[in-house]
Amino acid sequence: MRDSAIIRRLLGVYVTLVVIVLYIPMVVVGLASISRSRFFVFPIRKTSTKWYEDTFDSLQVQEAVWTSVTIAVFVAILAVVLAVFGALAYARYDWKGRKLYQKILLVPVFFPQAVLGLALQLWFNSVGIQMSWPATVFAQLVWIAPIVTLIVAIQAYGYDASVEEAARDLGATRWMVFRDITFPLLGPGIFSGFLFAVLLSWGNFPLAYFTSGADVTIPEWLYGKMIGGYTPMVPAVGFLSVLAGGLALIVGLTVRSRIARVQ
Amino acid sequence: MAPETILELKSVDKHFGGFVAVDRVSLSIAEGEFFTIVGPSGSGKTTLIRLLVGMDKPTHGDILLRGQRINDTPAHLRPTCMVFQSLALFPHMTVGENVEYPLKCRNVDKAERRRRAEECLGLAHLPAGYYDRPVTKCSGGERQRVALARALAFDPEILFFDEPLSAIDYRLRKTLEKELKDIQRETGKTFVYITHSLEEAMIMSDRIGVMRSGRLVQVGSPREIYKAPNSRFVSEFMGEVNVLPVTPANGKLMCEPLGVAFDPPPGEAVRAGSLVVRPEDMRFVNGGPPPNGVIEGEIFNEYLLGSRVQYQVRTRGFTLLVERLRDAEQPDRQIALSFTPEDSALFPE
Repeated sequence: MRDSAIIRRLLGVYVTLVVIVLYIPMVVVGLASISRSRFFVFPIRKTSTKWYEDTFDSLQVQEAVWTSVTIAVFVAILAVVLAVFGALAYARYDWKGRKLYQKILLVPVFFPQAVLGLALQLWFNSVGIQMSWPATVFAQLVWIAPIVTLIVAIQAYGYDASVEEAARDLGATRWMVFRDITFPLLGPGIFSGFLFAVLLSWGNFPLAYFTSGADVTIPEWLYGKMIGGYTPMVPAVGFLSVLAGGLALIVGLTVRSRIARVQ
Repeated sequence: MAPETILELKSVDKHFGGFVAVDRVSLSIAEGEFFTIVGPSGSGKTTLIRLLVGMDKPTHGDILLRGQRINDTPAHLRPTCMVFQSLALFPHMTVGENVEYPLKCRNVDKAERRRRAEECLGLAHLPAGYYDRPVTKCSGGERQRVALARALAFDPEILFFDEPLSAIDYRLRKTLEKELKDIQRETGKTFVYITHSLEEAMIMSDRIGVMRSGRLVQVGSPREIYKAPNSRFVSEFMGEVNVLPVTPANGKLMCEPLGVAFDPPPGEAVRAGSLVVRPEDMRFVNGGPPPNGVIEGEIFNEYLLGSRVQYQVRTRGFTLLVERLRDAEQPDRQIALSFTPEDSALFPE
C-alpha cells in the first residue's frame, strides 16, 4: 500500500518534470517577446508591450497571417474532400489495387519534408508552375492529405458497414446513402481531420519555403527575421502563432464535444 | 385454392471464382408463408439470401417475383427488404428516424411518416415513447424491435431475415421468435428467414428448406422434415439421433457392432447403410414381444432436458441416446432397448 503511494507520488513528480521541460521553451518565447531590449538577455530587466504593438502594426506580418490562413483553409478543405473518398477506398471498398494503395498512402509522410519540398519545387519548375501560395497549397496537400485520409479511414473502420447496405435496401439511392448515412457517420473523423490539417498547415515551414515563391507565410516570416534582422517581434509573432493554433484546437474540440453531446 | 406463388427460384447458382456457394437451387415460396432456410454455417444460406434481396446477382438461373424476373434489379429498386444479422440500425439517428427512413426515401410527408412509424413501432411491440430515443440507448431486444419496425415501415412484399436473433440470449430469443410469428400472422406478409438453429426454424416456420454445401436438400413442413428426413444429413441436423451402421443378412439388417439384426423400415429394401432412430423413438423392452431386434445395455448417465430426460445407454458396440418424458417411470440400470421399424429410417450413407 505504502509502496504504491510512493510510486504514485514519484510518477506525479516525473510527469510534472516532463511537462515543464516540454513547455519551458514556449514560456521563454513568451518572456522574450515582452523584453524591452532588442536582444534577448535573461533575466529580463525591463518589460514592454512595444513589440506586440509593432507586430499588430506591421503590414508584413498582416500579409503573412493572411497568406498562412488562406493556405491553411484551402489545404484543409481540399484535404478533407480527398480524404473522405480516399478513406472510403482505403477502408470500405474492395478493389484491385487496394492493398498497394494502403501501403503507399503514407509514403509522402515518411519523406523528409525538406527533400519533399525540393522535389516538388523541381517538379513545379519543370512543368512550369509558378512558385506562389497555390503551389504551397498543393505541396502541403501532398503531405497532409494522406494524414487526414488515415484519420477519416479510422472513423470509417469504426462503424458497421452493413448500415450502408441496409439504407440501400430500404430504398435509398447512392447519393442518399452518402448524405444520410456515410457522411454523418464519418463526421467526427472529418472534423478531426479538418482541424489537424489546419494546424499542420499553419505550422509548416519546409514545404512553404521551397514552393511559396514571393508569398510569405508566418513560419517563413519568422525564419527570415531570425536569420537576418532579429527583433523581439519574432518571439511575439511566434507566441501569437502558438496561441492562435491552441485557440483553434480548443474551439474545435469544444464544438466537437458539443456535437457529440447533442447526438 | 392454393395460395399464389410470390417468389420463385429456378436453378439458381452463385459462383465465387471456382467456388460454388449456391448450387442449382429451385424453390417456390407462397404468398403469406413463413419460410425458413436452415443450414450449418458455410452452407450458402447467407449467399442465397443476398441473391434474393438483390445485393448480389446469381451466376446462373432466374429469380422471379410474382412472375417477373428480378435477377438484375438492385436492392433499392426491389419491393423487398431485409433485417440484417447485425440489425444495421443507423447509430446517429433516433428510433423514430430509423423507422421513418424508408418512408423518407420515398418522399412521404412528415405527418404521414410519423403516423406510419408509430403504427409500425406498435406492431413490433415498442411503446410510442421510444420514438425520440436514440437507438444507441436501446437494449438488445429493443433494437431487434426497431429493426423489425423499420422493415415493416418499408411495407415490403417479402421480408427477409438474416439470423437477426443469433446474438440474443435464450429467453428473450424465445419471446421474440413467438412475437415474430404473431406479427407474420397479423400482417399476412411473406417472411423468409435464415438461421442455423433448427429450434428457431421449427417454432416459427410454415415450411423449412434445409441447405447443405450450397444445395437445398429437403423442403417441407417442420413435421415432415423432422419425421421424414430424406437423408442422414437432414436427420442429424434436425436433432440428436442414433445412427446404427447395418449390412444385409438373411433378409434383415445386421448391425455388426451390436450383434443384433433389425427389420427394415416399411417399404425399404434390405441394403447396407445407416439405420437412424430418434432418441424419443427408442423403447424400453419390459415384457411383451419386442417390436424389433433387442439391444442390451446399461444406463450410465442421464440428463434432465426440461420436460424430458435423456439417458445415455452404453451397449456392446457404442452409446445410444434414449429420451423419455420427465415424469415417466425411472428405468433400471440394466435395460433392453428396441424400436418399431416404422420409427427408423434407412439411408445409404
